[in-house]
Amino acid sequence: MKLAPLDITSNIDNTITKYTNVKSTKILRTLQLFIKMSVKIRAAYTNSISTSRIIFTCLAAVIVRYYLMLSKYQTVIANHVEVSTPLNSWKRVSEGLYLISKNINPYEGDVLHETPLSLYLYKNILLVFQDRIHLAFITFDVATAIILFFTTKKFNWDLFVEEENNKETFAKDAVECFLKPEKLFKSSYYVLLTYLFNPFTLFSCVGYSTTVFYNFYLAVMMFCMVHGISVICGIFLALAASVSFYPVVLILPVTMYFKYAIKSNFKIIINLFSFITTSVLIMLMCTDFGKDFSYIRNVYGCILTVPDLQPNIGLFWYFFTEMFEHFRELFIYAFQINNTILYLVPISLRFRKHPFLLTVAINFIITIFKSYPSVGDVGFVLSVVPSFPHLFPFSQQGFLVGTMLIISTSLAPILYYLWIYCNSANANFYFGVTLSFAVAQIFLLTDLLFSQVKRDYMLKYGKNRKIDGEEGILCLE
Amino acid sequence: MGLLTDPSTGQGKFVKILLKYYVHACILLYVSGVLWFLAIAYPNMNANTYFSENALLPGLVKSQFREDREASRYHEEFLDEMKKYPDSIPYPWLLAKFKQIGLDAYMHNFTLASPFNRKDKFSGKNVYGILRAPRGSSAEALVLSTPFRPSSSPHPPTEPSIAIMLAFAKYANKEKYWAKDIIFLITEHEQVGVQAWLEAYYGVTCGSENILDHGDLKGRGGAIQAAINLELHSERIGQMDIKIEGLNGQLPNLDLFNLASKMCSKEGVYQTFKNRGHFYTRKPLLEWWNYFKNMLTMMATQATGIPNGNHGLFHRFGIQALTLEGFEQSKATGSSRIWFVGIGRIIEGVFRSLNNLLERFHQSFFFYLLPSSDRYISISIYIPSVCLMVGTMFIKACARWFKMIETNSEGKNLETSAIRVDKIIITFLTTHFFGVLISNVPQFVAQYPTLSQYETNIKVFYPLLASVVLLTVLPLFVSIRHCKKSMELLNILAMLELGTTLICISMNNFSLGLFCGIISVPAALVINPSNCRVCSYFQRFLWFLIHPLNILVCIVMINTYYLFPEENLDVILFRGWDATMQSIIFSIVDSMIYGNWLYGVITNIFIPNWLCFWIVSFSVFKEGETIKDSDKEKKE
Repeated sequence: MKLAPLDITSNIDNTITKYTNVKSTKILRTLQLFIKMSVKIRAAYTNSISTSRIIFTCLAAVIVRYYLMLSKYQTVIANHVEVSTPLNSWKRVSEGLYLISKNINPYEGDVLHETPLSLYLYKNILLVFQDRIHLAFITFDVATAIILFFTTKKFNWDLFVEEENNKETFAKDAVECFLKPEKLFKSSYYVLLTYLFNPFTLFSCVGYSTTVFYNFYLAVMMFCMVHGISVICGIFLALAASVSFYPVVLILPVTMYFKYAIKSNFKIIINLFSFITTSVLIMLMCTDFGKDFSYIRNVYGCILTVPDLQPNIGLFWYFFTEMFEHFRELFIYAFQINNTILYLVPISLRFRKHPFLLTVAINFIITIFKSYPSVGDVGFVLSVVPSFPHLFPFSQQGFLVGTMLIISTSLAPILYYLWIYCNSANANFYFGVTLSFAVAQIFLLTDLLFSQVKRDYMLKYGKNRKIDGEEGILCLE
Repeated sequence: MGLLTDPSTGQGKFVKILLKYYVHACILLYVSGVLWFLAIAYPNMNANTYFSENALLPGLVKSQFREDREASRYHEEFLDEMKKYPDSIPYPWLLAKFKQIGLDAYMHNFTLASPFNRKDKFSGKNVYGILRAPRGSSAEALVLSTPFRPSSSPHPPTEPSIAIMLAFAKYANKEKYWAKDIIFLITEHEQVGVQAWLEAYYGVTCGSENILDHGDLKGRGGAIQAAINLELHSERIGQMDIKIEGLNGQLPNLDLFNLASKMCSKEGVYQTFKNRGHFYTRKPLLEWWNYFKNMLTMMATQATGIPNGNHGLFHRFGIQALTLEGFEQSKATGSSRIWFVGIGRIIEGVFRSLNNLLERFHQSFFFYLLPSSDRYISISIYIPSVCLMVGTMFIKACARWFKMIETNSEGKNLETSAIRVDKIIITFLTTHFFGVLISNVPQFVAQYPTLSQYETNIKVFYPLLASVVLLTVLPLFVSIRHCKKSMELLNILAMLELGTTLICISMNNFSLGLFCGIISVPAALVINPSNCRVCSYFQRFLWFLIHPLNILVCIVMINTYYLFPEENLDVILFRGWDATMQSIIFSIVDSMIYGNWLYGVITNIFIPNWLCFWIVSFSVFKEGETIKDSDKEKKE
């Protein structure tokens, strides 16, 4: 199973191998590896999941979604604040579309917070699907799942190849934490399963939240990133950023990916170029070539200054309801900086060698701290987590996080009902639950990142952690 | 970052302690939860009630109600009028009176289709009059309601409350200080009438579709802030009982209760809660026992989730409401009786206080328990008891989880392949699917035409019983019960579900959550996948006792025994069985008409959860069988 290095250079020194590898093209390297790989692993990769199984899974997902959408629960789910926020509720979109059809500017009121481009897309999607909204939502949701499946499949393959390449540098007694191909290559199927059947994405899709489309953009972006298709990656990043603004910061991890995983400076430039060009084009299109900037206030203004304090699973609404009005500006800055750039640079520096994890982590941070998160966002990031099976042995908080997520997810709608409809509980109860939901997500993220650090340490120094003869402990400080 | 610190990759200190002591911890937590619950009724643990909302200004104005003669006359006239309408509400007379007084008087028609046979329809009429606020914009309203009971009704009569309501309406109409509309509502058919009126007022349907046709209202007032329901059984009142427990265990704001209680004592009527007034004793144990008994009575009512008066249906709409029930006979020795003047002044006092409210009720407490009418136990005091109990579930699940991981990492060759996560999830989902099926059995059976020759009770109850009994053989069809680790995981899942459910229920209906916890938690703690025969038989026996149906039968039997202590055992058993059947039918009907969730929760969550544990208790495996299993899978 171990690879016999073909290059003469790699025999001499590992560090030199690294540099020469950069020079040789990626395709050549993969080819070499393919030849060198034992047949077993290749078989494990290609046959890890049969196509019929994937199709069956997707069909099951479609049936569940279709059934829920036609049942009486659809409106119930769609009206939940956890599913529909002011930014992504389909009700507002249909209102906007109606206003446009009557030649009224939908951005004059406070109803619509979607970009004109999204509206245009929804209009055409409705045309294509002949007003069968549910089919449109199901199609995009399942497409997202399949794209995520291929994304993580490629990522896992790259990960494996990378590790096989660097095996010489690892500590000798770290064998047990090496990647196990049969386990690793199955993980993308778990990603598919998690995306299709976790209640968060399920409800988001059934509740017609436009997060489904946003997730689709993100999934395509990640797919292109992993496959090195820099042009489309930039385009979809720009699309995602135009919808929700926060993904702008993802440009950094994407750049890191092209730099450290694909090792191509050219692609970075192409990616940047396509991102900027698309953004400008989107801007031009949305403003009707510089004539009408009214949407900016309603879309980005709404995202950044948080005027609508309808409760949601995020942390903004409670804070800004309780706060004295003259501190509002200060805390808006504090919250938004916390969300976007506070963690961006340190995490990017620390995890530059693991750009895919970095992308997921940054996306996770956005989801936790964004101004109007919905369960669709949470479902998306959660469903990528199974693609890191090699980190699970190192994680510590799995049970705690799971329990917290279960409890807070089931308590949230109950307390909201008690608060809003029965008038007996109050905002504090609901906020308590959303807070614990956020804490659970933060624990999960920290656990994931820390697991990566621990794994790196183990690979480098081995299992032995004796410091002055005593067992050392890894801790965050 | 203590929590996030890595205790090497294996087991940390915390986990080691947990694994070592979790059994002790669970027992300790459970016992302390029960003790806490017993302790909260002790006066040092709770506090005196007080007014939190300043705007109420209770009893600050001088009562001016003097329409007692009018009330007596209305009473006599109404009794005469009722003779003309033996079975229904004498609405022309009521409408005429309302109009005479000067209110906007309306009638409201509603129809109820029988939940099990949609063709059977019952109709009813509500009469209501609206006093338009002279000093406001009709944006807010208060309700004074009273149930109309025909002479054939099994419940005690309520004509005096209709009389005093009319007299109060007459008095109130002359006053200029009302800033809120007052709606005087007389409902027919007990709770169905109120439910229909409220649904019509808000234009919603709370229960299943097509059962209660709430009809239309011709006139509306503002947003209703509070409602007082009157059930006076006599013109002279010697004892006034305040009833608060509402649908699904919801309670009105404590301030409203305090207000009513204060007004009653101001007028000098012997005022009680759960038929018990104040008592003074110097013996601390006796004092505690009295409080505790009273609290338990309240919790028993709350736990059923069935409103004990018409007020209970208002709560769902965010309206604070309670019932004043007046009895002629008083338990207290030497207390005086009050007449219509006094009753009228109580109502006047309450409504003038409510009229002062600037915002809707939001202060004080919505979640509380009352050991007596002048003491309360707030949520922060009582919730620890249920949290301690539920905590055991999570601690045991956590410990079991780590134990499983530990044994996994020890026996490397076994790997995790022995655990079939997909099969576990399928088992878990299947039980819940059956739960959903059971919850739909009544609807399905009711629509099945060939069964129509049988009585409704029989054709709904017995299929339900049969399906529940049939489900107990489900474990025999579960293949994973031969695998220890899979059963362990299913056990963990079931424990997490039970814990979460108990927390969620006790947020809605603390009493129900607590009782369920007290009963189910110790039994769930005992259940473990084990290969010891005696153990597993014991587990099965214990867990079988806990089946929701068995518990219901037990409760009903005990209740029957206390109701008819002189009867023979076989008569009691027969009656108890009959009553069990009735109670199940009623809970189904309640869920369909009022949206009571007890039946839904039991069938959709408790029975599936019970089944999960039941499957776990049926696990059969031998030590080392897991190895064989994994070997087989490898071969496959």
